[in-house]
Formats: sequence, structure tokens, C-alpha cells
Amino acid sequence: MRYRIKHITEYQYAGRVSHCYNMAHLMPRNSRRQQCLSSHIDILPGTTFNVRREDYYGNWAHHFEIHQPHKTLKIIATSDVETREQLSMMDLDLGATCSQAKEMMWSATDTETLLAREFLLDSPAVKTIDALRDYAAPFFSAEKTLLKAVLELTQAIFRDFKYSPESTTIATPVEDVLASREGVCQDFAHLQIGCLRALGYAAKYVSGYLETLPPPGQEKMVGADASHAWLSVYAPGEGWFEFDPTNNCMAGEQHIITAWGRDYFDVTPLCGVIFGGGEQPLLNVSVDVQRL
Amino acid sequence: MNTSELRPEWLYPASDSRHDEIIAGDGQLRPHWHYVLDSLHGLGDMAGRQQKALRILRDDGATYNIYGDSTGESATWNLDLVPNIIASEVWADAESGLLERSELFNLLLRDIYGERTLLKSGVIPPEALFCHRGFLRACHGIQLPGEQDLILHAVDLIRAPGGELMVLGDRTQSPSGAGYALENRTVMSRVFPSLFRDSNVHRLSAFFQRLRSKLLSLSPNRSHARAVLLTPGPHNETYFEHAYMANYLGFPLVQSDDLMVRNGFLWMKSLDGLKRVDVLFRRVDDWFCDPVELRADSRLGVAGLLEVVRAGNLVVANPLGSGILENPVFLRYMPEIARALLGRELRLPSVQTWWCAESQDKEYVLANLRDLVIKPVYRSPGSRSVRAGELDDAGLEQLKAEITANPMQYVAQPAMIASHLPALEADNSLAPRPSILRTYAVATGSSYSLMPGGLTRVGDSENSFVIASQAGARSKDTWIVDSEAERTLASEQAEEVTVMREAESVSLPSRVVENLFWMGRYADRAEATLRLLRTTFIQFSSESPASPAVKQYLLGTLQKMAALIPAEGLSADDQLDLWIENGTVSNSIASSLNAMLFCADQAKELLSSDTFRIINDIRDALRRLPQELSSSRWSAPEEVLDPLVTALMAFAGLTQESMNRSFGWRFMELGRRLERAQQINTAVGGLLVPVLNEPEQNRLAEALLLTMETLISYRRRYRGLMSVETSLDLILLDSSNPRSLMYQLDHLAEYLRALPHPARVLHELSEEERTLMQVEVLVKLTPLKDFCQPQETQRVQLAEAMERCFTLLAELSDQITDKYFDHREASHQLVRNSMEIL
Repeated sequence: MRYRIKHITEYQYAGRVSHCYNMAHLMPRNSRRQQCLSSHIDILPGTTFNVRREDYYGNWAHHFEIHQPHKTLKIIATSDVETREQLSMMDLDLGATCSQAKEMMWSATDTETLLAREFLLDSPAVKTIDALRDYAAPFFSAEKTLLKAVLELTQAIFRDFKYSPESTTIATPVEDVLASREGVCQDFAHLQIGCLRALGYAAKYVSGYLETLPPPGQEKMVGADASHAWLSVYAPGEGWFEFDPTNNCMAGEQHIITAWGRDYFDVTPLCGVIFGGGEQPLLNVSVDVQRL
Repeated sequence: MNTSELRPEWLYPASDSRHDEIIAGDGQLRPHWHYVLDSLHGLGDMAGRQQKALRILRDDGATYNIYGDSTGESATWNLDLVPNIIASEVWADAESGLLERSELFNLLLRDIYGERTLLKSGVIPPEALFCHRGFLRACHGIQLPGEQDLILHAVDLIRAPGGELMVLGDRTQSPSGAGYALENRTVMSRVFPSLFRDSNVHRLSAFFQRLRSKLLSLSPNRSHARAVLLTPGPHNETYFEHAYMANYLGFPLVQSDDLMVRNGFLWMKSLDGLKRVDVLFRRVDDWFCDPVELRADSRLGVAGLLEVVRAGNLVVANPLGSGILENPVFLRYMPEIARALLGRELRLPSVQTWWCAESQDKEYVLANLRDLVIKPVYRSPGSRSVRAGELDDAGLEQLKAEITANPMQYVAQPAMIASHLPALEADNSLAPRPSILRTYAVATGSSYSLMPGGLTRVGDSENSFVIASQAGARSKDTWIVDSEAERTLASEQAEEVTVMREAESVSLPSRVVENLFWMGRYADRAEATLRLLRTTFIQFSSESPASPAVKQYLLGTLQKMAALIPAEGLSADDQLDLWIENGTVSNSIASSLNAMLFCADQAKELLSSDTFRIINDIRDALRRLPQELSSSRWSAPEEVLDPLVTALMAFAGLTQESMNRSFGWRFMELGRRLERAQQINTAVGGLLVPVLNEPEQNRLAEALLLTMETLISYRRRYRGLMSVETSLDLILLDSSNPRSLMYQLDHLAEYLRALPHPARVLHELSEEERTLMQVEVLVKLTPLKDFCQPQETQRVQLAEAMERCFTLLAELSDQITDKYFDHREASHQLVRNSMEIL
């Protein structure tokens, strides 16, 4: 499927910002099932310095400096992307069992598995705690295939947790999300990643977009889409597989990837330092995903 | 056998259980110690020399801050006078091992941030890298030009009980101590000039020359290189060393706010605009260097720094991310790493290290906990090594639980007492103390070269396991000695170095200049207050006491000058008593002086070591002041102030005599003159404006002249005849009097003209010059008799003129601040993502 994504981020500051330094993860990366056809970022006010590079995880990081005083910062990322399903005809009943996968995680010496071990460890936003293991363990019986178990965990999170935008912030620890049973897509992704790592499986955080379709008969509203997040789990010898606990599914054609990392903080859409600007800026984000 | 090589009877006895650096197994003194130890013993008066060393260290401002010390005061660096003596044959052996290690660590660093072959080929487990916070993912793919990424490598070396030299650990991100080693050497060569000369000690200076030329050679800017030294600031534990090294290397000392990134380059904010920086020699830790990509809440780094490095427009040394090499887990795999990268094992072994992530290691550690030292893999403030044998049962259980819960985060090493060196005790005896030597290697050409010596530290008891400056360890100079003179090691020969042309003028960061400006102001403010206070004491307690009116005006002026708060309904005498007794007076003086001392600290690298001696005098006098003031209240309290006044005069004199007439000096003088002009306005407004009867009027005029130190020249000129008009002439208009207002204005004008200005097309005056001229016109165009003209109880024109002058001078100060100094705007994180603080 071909999409054009327009992602607009606007900050309105209470006071004048004299200069700022930012790093954005807003350009879609390539992956086995996705190709970014074109992508560009427009910044208002005009930037003085502007560089794009590939980061540690192979994502696009976009750096810019602004030395022009401003009270509004607007970043418009426009990208054309082609996506595919993960694997056609995938049968989750085939493949390594949980116990095999766990054993191979430590015994395999191929580069991909060695490097995947990075995603077994705690990361800034995801700390593995016993409660996560206790929650997820029942789904991972030794003889079940790993991917089937992961899908069941995905279903469980979808079933047990309430989608509730007001309940958490990006700083809410996974532990609290597990206790309160509510959150948003980042929280569910972090939660499932934490469960998987606690059990000894490597998992990474995927940020991107999901194409949403309007109710039948209605026209789609511009800007109604949103950033989305899900996760990817590593099956030794088989590769990475993406699951979306917010929507109770494996990621498909409609899941467009921007970037991946250990957790949200490796792929923050926009971060940086501003000089001046006063208290509490107003943030406005609009995302529009259109089929081409 | 030469009998004198037997152990002298005044030395401590040998111990069978541990290795001693000076006494061999047969109980005899090792030969290379013989000369120095004998000489030290023969010299006698070690206590006196220890005092002298301490005084030199203090005068040099050599401090080391202990974190968590509630007094907040810097402690003077701790130097033990008995050097660590190493025979050059022994050293040559260690040297080749250490150089080999630096080469290996360089390859390791390049592999970690480059190909990661060690990880991919299974030489080290992935977790060795991934579990360590020193691994900076943001630095992946960054390489320095040339063959070496690791520029400065420090190694902590100990001699195990069996006598074997071993590496205890490495310091790689911004190794500290080299500057202290140099300072130790400087002090030792002054305290024992002849002993030092006769001992054929290898010199240290070539090492620093190599470091300097290596850093400059890294510059991406081929035509001229500008290198700066980045410090976290005066609160850092080793700030002394930062200033000392900056001075020695000839690089400006900068802090976070002195730098900014613009258009992909790094710039230093200096008086004459932004100056491009090509090489950043940093003493700020990895994580704190760039709030955009690393620790978002850091105030010690520069936003956007990493992008400048990536673009190849700046070299940071040691490179960001080099902290990963401090990971003790690598010690566990060192033989395998060396075989993979060098093709052979290292000559110099590391202390055996177990990593609890390996299950056999963990089993061993848990079973033998009491014989081990447990270390966190990542060193951070608050984390520390634990000697499990010293814990009680509960502590032991807790440690076990922590290791079991998080095995990857712990390594263990055998608890062993390093070999002993003699240390000088308070009672002048020598006692055996475990010792550790930190060595330094700098990249040169295609290899490394070693500082001939290093920083030796000794523990505070015979059996201490932890020897760290933070734990109060003492340091020693390290002497590499030859048996005969004139034999130099390769590392000592001054080699031909191609020094690139350095950036033309070494400009100062504007922060430093701003601090000099305020140092000048505060110094003069304190001096003016002290002088008026002294006059007040004299007038209050003289044999013919001043009238209540005179006392009241004196007190009113003092109150204004020193910003004191009067209590209501008190007589002048009671008020003064109260101020002295409750510390108001000393607090006021202390606040000016502390502000001045703070500014001096910020501009440390520009002040001479003589200046620091005076600063120490000021500190001492200040500490004694409250006590002495209140105890001398009834007899000549003015004398208590004399030491401070004298010290401040000496300070002013020294800066006149020993500072270059650079912009820095000019700004200091601007501050001083501006402050003095304002103090004159206040004093004249308070003491000559009121209209009183003749004796009282004369008394106030005399008090003013005394405060201004012009009473003697006044008397010489006008005999005994006191009058307001002649007093005003001398204090306001006589530009030959260095304490007159006109003298200050003339000099202000001169300094302002000499400051850097943008090239001007028009002939108009600058804003500051116009303001200054208004002051001058106001004072010069009013006839003196108009100033003296009384209107009822006041000389109104004089009062108005003094107030106006004061305001204009305050504006002038603001104008200078606006034009020349940096205005820091508070920075924020765009998104609060300080969760990286694990």
C-alpha cells in the first residue's frame, strides 16, 4: 500500500525563544516490509542549520538549529511510503517453541541474535519487574510456539486494559500502567515489551502511524490520524515480528513505521533544548495518513 | 654488603605478609631508596617542611573538593613529602606494558563505536557493552582523525602482595590527576631543592608538551587551531586542576555558558565576538556534554555538541563515549580481547575480575564473598566499591540479594592490600601505607608515550583497601630515578613536534571578563565599607567624642554604603554596638568579600599565585572577623579591621603590578573605578550635604577625608583650615588625587576608549562614553560655591548632583554589562525526557 503522511507539530511558546537545538525522528525508515519513497521536513521559522543522519538503530534523525527569535515553531514532515504485510500466509503454529526460543537466545552465535540481545535488557522507560513476568507467564508454556504466545499476550493486554488518553503521561512507569490497567498505545507497547523481556525474549519499541478508516459513508477528516506505537519481538532464527496490543493484532500494511529503538526515549519524535520561551508551551500535533 | 643498605633502625620493620616497596624480603632496604631515604632522615625538620609544602599548595590554590562535605569549603590538596621512588629499570618494564595497554584500549574503543567485531565474533558477550551506561549509542560511528581515538589514558596500577604489578582499572573519559601530579612535583622541587636535583629524577614537562601538541594537531581547522579546556566549574572536585592545566597548556578555561553551537560549528563567546573552537579538551563527563542527545537535564554541556563532532567540525578529547572503556567487565575478558585485537596477550596483567553475569563467576562470587571487593560496573556519584568482609551478616545478605537481582551490574575482585610505601605521620615517624599509582599515557605519532611518573596515593591505614582521593587518601610525588645522571628515557627527550599555528590572539571568554569586572567592584566596595567603618569607630571612641549629630550622620552614611538595616529608637552608640554584636557589620563585609572571592575563583586561571596567597589572607582574616570584632568592641575596634584593609590594598597592588594589561585587566579596573566613583557619591552625599555648625561640619569633613585617605594631603595643602569648599575640591575635582571622583572618571574614560568597538564610520561617541561625559559635565560645570550653598539644613545642589551621578554610573554599569557580557537565557528541554537517569 502507498501512503502520503503529513505530520505537523506546532509549539506555541509563552515567551520569545531566542534560539533552539532540536532532534526529530519524523522521517519513516526502511524495513523488510516498508520502503520510504520520499520524505522532507519543512521548519518555520527558517532554520540556519539542518542535517539528516542515520542513527544507531538505522532510523533517520533530523537535527536542526534555529537562531531566529520566534514564538511559534512549526515542523511539517511529509513522506511517501510503501508498505506490505509482514509475511504472507504466516502460520503462528509453526516455528520455535517458547523453550527453544529462550534457549537459542543465549546459545545462538549468529550476529542477528547477538545484536538482538541488546533488546533483552532494561531500558530507560522499561524496567523488568516480577509483576510483569507474573502477568505474562501463563501464556508462555514451554511447548507453545513463541509467536502464538506473543499473540495471546497481545490479546490479553487488549482485553485487560482500557484505552484512556487522560490516564497517563509519557513519564508514567510501566509498573503503574500494570496496576491501573489503563493507558495509551505507548504504555501498552512498553508494557508488552517489559513482559517479554522479563520472560527472556528480546523486544523493541516501534513508533509510527496507523491508517484509520472513516465510518462507512463518511469522508475522512484531515488530521484525524495520530502517531502510533507498537512493538516487535525477536524469534531466534526467524527474525522480528510486530504486534499491536492497542488494536489486538499483528502489525500489517496499515502500520507505517517511523523508527524503532529500545523504548520511546530512543525515538522521541521531537526533542531538544530551547533558550527562552517562558513556561508551558502549547503543543499541537496533527497527523494525516492518505492512501495514494 | 654495604652496611648502610641494611634497614635503618628508625624505619618500620618488614612485614612477611605483604609486599613493601622499600624493604626487600630479606629485610633490607632496596638500593634505589637508600639515597633519598637517608637524605630525608638527615635533613630533619620534616614537620617544618610539611608546613612549607602545605603553604605552597595553599598559595597555589591547590584544592580538592570532597563531595558531601557539609562545610562546602575546598580542602587543600594533600601531599605526603616522602616520594614514591621507582628505579628506571623497573619503570622501563612497566612502561612497555602500559603503552601496550593504551594501544589495545584504543583499538577496543574504535571497535566498540565502529565495527563491533569483538561482539559479533563472540569474544565478549553483548551484555558487556549493552548493560553499561558508558556505552553511548549516540556516538556510534564517530571517529577521530588519525590512528588514535583514545588521546589520554590513565591506569591505576598496584603491586599485589606477591610483588607483581597489576592494573586495577582504567580512566578514559576525562582522566584526572595529571595536573595534581605536576603540582606535587612543583612543590617537591621547592621543598627539597637539592635532594631533588641530586636524585636524577625524570622530568614531567615533556609529557604535557606532547599532550598539548597532540591536542592541537587534532584540529580540523588546518590553518589555525583553537583548543579550549571545558570544566564543569568551580564546584567540581578537581576544579583546581582544570584551571592549572588550562594555564599550563595555554588553553582558555571555559564553562558551558561560554560556548555555543551555531551553523554546525562550536564557538566561544568572547569579548570581541564569537571565536571558533576546533578542539575541546573536556573535563565534563560523557553524559553531561550535550543536553540534546545525552542527558537532557545537564547544565554542564553544550546543546548540539554531538552534531558538530559528527560533522567533523570539532574534535572532543577524549572522545564522547570513551567512558565505556572504564567498564571493569572488560578486565574479565582482557586476555581474549588482547588476543583478538593485538594477536597476543598483554604483558601487564589486570587484577583478576569476576563478572556476575557469567553464572560460574556468580557462583564463585557468592561463595567467596568475604574475600572479595564488589564493584558496580558503572561508576557514578554515590556508587562505591564494597569490601564484603567488612559487612555484618545483614549487610552481607543484602549484598547477596542485590547481586542476585542484578548480576550484570556487579564485578568482584580479590580483596588485597597493595604494596606498602612509607608515609610521613603526624609524629614525624614513617608508617607503612598501601599505595596505588595512576599513570598517564598520551597519544603521540602512531603510538603512546608515558608520563615518567604519575600520581601516587596512599591509604590512611596499614590495611586500607580503598585508596581514593574522595576517601581522603594522601598523594605523593612519583620519582623515576636513574642510578647515574644524564640517562634519559625515550619518553623524556623533547622531540621535534610540528606545532600548528594557533589561533592568533587567545581571547577570553566573556564570562571570565564579567567576573573580573565584578571582582573589581566587590573588592572596592569592601574596601570602602571597611574604611568608613574604621573612621566611624575612631570618631565614636576618640578622646573627644563626636556630637550626637555627627555620629548620626556617620552612621547614616555607613548604613547606606554597607546596606545595613537600622533598629528603631536606638542611640547612635547603641546602634553601632548592636550591629557589631549581632554580626550585621561582619556579615555585610563578608558578603562583599565572598562575592569577590567567588569572582576570583571563576577567573582563577588569570590570577597569579601571589594573588592566591593574598586571597588566602583575606579568607583567614574574614573567618576571624566576627569573633575579633565583638571581643574588641571596647578597645580600639578599628585595629581589628586593619589586616583586611591591608590585604585588600595588597590585592589591588598586585593586580596592578602582575596582571597583563589585557581586556581582562581593563574590565577589572573599570569595575573598581566605577565602584569607587559611586562610593564617593554616597560618602559626599552623606557627610558634606548636611549643614551643621562649624565644629561639627569640620568633624564630618575630617571624617570624610580620613575615609578617603586624603586627610594628610589636605592638611599639607590647607594647614589646619577645614572647609567644605576645599574638601570638595580635593575629593571631587582634583584629578591628581587618586581617590578623587575626577581621577576615577578620567580613568573610566581611558579604559572605555581602549575596549573593542565595532569599526565606526561616524564620529559619534558610544553610549557608555556619553553617559560618562554627563557625569563629568555635571561635576565640572557647577561652581564649587554653588555646591556649598546651604539651603536651610542641606546643600541641595550637591545632594542632587551626587544622586544624579550615582544613577548615571549605575546606568553606565548596565550599559557595559549589556554590551560586553553574555546574557544567559534559561534553557529548557523541549520534551522532558530525563528518564535516561537510570
